[in-house]
Amino acid sequence: MAYSDKVLDHYNNPRNVGSMDRNDPNVGTGMVGAPECGDVMKLQLKVNETSGIIEDAKFKTFGCGSAIASSSLATEWLKGKSVDEALLIKNTAIVNELSLPPVKIHCSVLAEDAIKAAISDYKSKQTTRKPVAEAVAH
Amino acid sequence: MAAEEICWKCGQLFSGHFCNACGAIQPPAANYFDFFELPPHLNLDAAELEKRFYALSRRLHPDVFARRSEREQRYSLDATAVLNDGYRALRDPINRAEYLLKESGFDIGEQKSNPVPPELLEEVFELNMALEDLRSGDSDAAPQLEDARTKFVAMREHIDRDLSAKFAAYDESESRELLTEIRGVLNRRRYVRNLVNEVEKALSGYVPN
Repeated sequence: MAYSDKVLDHYNNPRNVGSMDRNDPNVGTGMVGAPECGDVMKLQLKVNETSGIIEDAKFKTFGCGSAIASSSLATEWLKGKSVDEALLIKNTAIVNELSLPPVKIHCSVLAEDAIKAAISDYKSKQTTRKPVAEAVAH
Repeated sequence: MAAEEICWKCGQLFSGHFCNACGAIQPPAANYFDFFELPPHLNLDAAELEKRFYALSRRLHPDVFARRSEREQRYSLDATAVLNDGYRALRDPINRAEYLLKESGFDIGEQKSNPVPPELLEEVFELNMALEDLRSGDSDAAPQLEDARTKFVAMREHIDRDLSAKFAAYDESESRELLTEIRGVLNRRRYVRNLVNEVEKALSGYVPN
């Protein structure tokens, strides 16, 4: 099966590979995996404290070309979005952008799950961190 | 167990592979447990299965039907195919569990349906980092991989013990919830098995100088 040019491009030049300090309260970390193929994907995003915009995103994926491309693309799309906008990123958009064949759709699902996991990690950090400030605001 | 059916040849009720009345070979049951006339259990008596396999092999063999009608020859061929596939599927406990899950309407290995426990993912991630280091020629990763191998082999053994307990519990209760749990454990087992294979591959390719 041939990979699309876009998959190859992301695979050969993955964007935003790396990791951030997972203890940073502004960093959300999502770790997901697929039992069948043994893929594992770590995706992190950093939210600007004042603007609420995702200012950085990093990933590290062990898996096939499509899994790497899906997560690489996801980090590109995350930057500059608000957390709520990021939650709207759908795996189908990744499928379309990368022209993933049906057998590789699960890779895009994994990327979407990773985004959701990272955001939920970020949100849980925020709520445990600022209970007093929110109580005052209300 | 196979239900009673009507013989295609003589119209009598029968159950099993041959008509009790006229002795004609019957189309094989599609379900492997029915075919071997065994209860749909996860713990099976392997010796009994083997005994039935050999006995049926002799009785259903196409050579026996070489001079019978075309229809009987076809049933013999069909039955032999089910016999071999079924024996393969039921002989191994893991394959058997996967077969029973599939027959019970579960999707096996459907990636989205089964979240992997987060601690396991962390370990897998760390392991993959070490594998990557070793492949790129960093021999420092070797001891870490040896440790990982020990750990994941132990994990697989633990999973197998968990599975056999769950198998026994399912055979008692035939509860669907247990099947769901078993599917989760099987997925984890597959994950861990792949990891063990990866580590073994990396370590065998690595030659200390």
